[in-house]
Amino acid sequence: MAPTSPQPLDPQSLPDHDNLPDNPHAYCVRLTGPLFVQTGRMIAYYPAGGGTIRFEPLTATSMTAMVAARFSSPLYSRDWVVADGQGHVLLGDRGYDINSYDLDDGNLTVRAANLLAFDAGLELKESIIPGFLTLLGTGKFLASSSGPVVFVEPPVRVDPEALVGWADCPAPSQHFDAGWMGHFLGAARGALFGTRSGEERQYDFTGAGTVLLQSSERVLEDPHVVRRLEAEVQQLGPNQLRHLAGVIQSELQQHQQ
Amino acid sequence: MGFTKVTSKVVLADVRPGAEVLARRGAMLATTGRITFSPVVGGPGGGTYGGGIASALARGMQGEAVPLMVAEGTGTVHYGFRGHHVTIVDLDGSQPMSVEADRLLAHDASMSSSVVFLGQQGGLRGAVRGAVTGQGLFTTQLSGRGSVALLSHGGTFTLRVGGSRQVVVDPQAYVAHVGDLRLDVATALSWRDAVGRGSGEGVQLKVSGEGTVYVQASEEKL
Repeated sequence: MAPTSPQPLDPQSLPDHDNLPDNPHAYCVRLTGPLFVQTGRMIAYYPAGGGTIRFEPLTATSMTAMVAARFSSPLYSRDWVVADGQGHVLLGDRGYDINSYDLDDGNLTVRAANLLAFDAGLELKESIIPGFLTLLGTGKFLASSSGPVVFVEPPVRVDPEALVGWADCPAPSQHFDAGWMGHFLGAARGALFGTRSGEERQYDFTGAGTVLLQSSERVLEDPHVVRRLEAEVQQLGPNQLRHLAGVIQSELQQHQQ
Repeated sequence: MGFTKVTSKVVLADVRPGAEVLARRGAMLATTGRITFSPVVGGPGGGTYGGGIASALARGMQGEAVPLMVAEGTGTVHYGFRGHHVTIVDLDGSQPMSVEADRLLAHDASMSSSVVFLGQQGGLRGAVRGAVTGQGLFTTQLSGRGSVALLSHGGTFTLRVGGSRQVVVDPQAYVAHVGDLRLDVATALSWRDAVGRGSGEGVQLKVSGEGTVYVQASEEKL
């Protein structure tokens, strides 16, 4: 064998449901039934026994009924595929750490960009918080994080960028810091712009449950948040729309400076 | 000869007369002893280190040129590049390694490198593969005994291919391969889906033959 290091893997030595040896950034799933996978997260696969593994877009799958029952999120439907067949599938996500979670008749909400895959035993719904997805039921799913995940119990106040998800506790409320609130209460609207410290908005968790944190990470621009806002804009009247246009204008000018 | 792993993102090279090291320009982090660096013209295989003008020219035209530098003298050099993961591969000389030039951090200068037209690896299909996957039409081939340091996003793992066993790899995640392998492009979804997504599962590389594939644990190109 030409290369002496590292040791090559094959279907006999690959784990069935675990991270690859010495690599927290890659995960191997032993595919036995349909698995929902976010597009682009598949890195490699070994089909078993000369068969094939198919990756079908949700919009063009042979399992329409199953997908319709399990995947209740039109916003994200274009970003996911169903993997079906027999074999080993290796997944990776931007070099982030990958963890597997087991849900037992539970619910867990996770940042949409960090959800890699979930098996068809789970049901997916959109969270009330934009950019997050909720998984319900019993089954396994995979989520990524920038650095290892830290588990915290409420009550806790979290930076939105560090939030990976939360389980079994009520959805968070937003908390604004005192300085930020002071501007509003003092009606000092002119002084509002340019005062952002980056910590003015936090998520507040209360009740019993678990909150999942990662080392803080700049949140990518999530196109789905915009699409969701678009849908809500349709409920506004002409005056409100004009006001919104003004707000967007002044925000854009902020960015140009 | 050879590199030592310092962290997952830094390697240490021992440099002696007769054991020079070629590395990507800008990858030097620190040196000890008396080391001099000089640029190598024409990328891997160019200049005084093997190869020829023709191959250097071809590379320059096709983007398979990454500026290299050679470390000479006596001492040690730490290499790393933009926080990317580094994987050390020791080759025994029996089989060449194919790798994209931008994945190559450093290698022993005693190894000979050449640029291969992908069309030579599987005829027209090879050329089509390079064009479709964005790898370009050329790839670097390293042969001889020595140590190679590969760059990746998220660290690499190796997959064995052999017998009837076939593996399918995402083109963005493919880093390098060693051995007698055939890489074929397969479009799993319709062409329109593949174009619309870019890094989706639309385009896949089917790898068959006998050898080892190096795959990074991320779908992001460097």
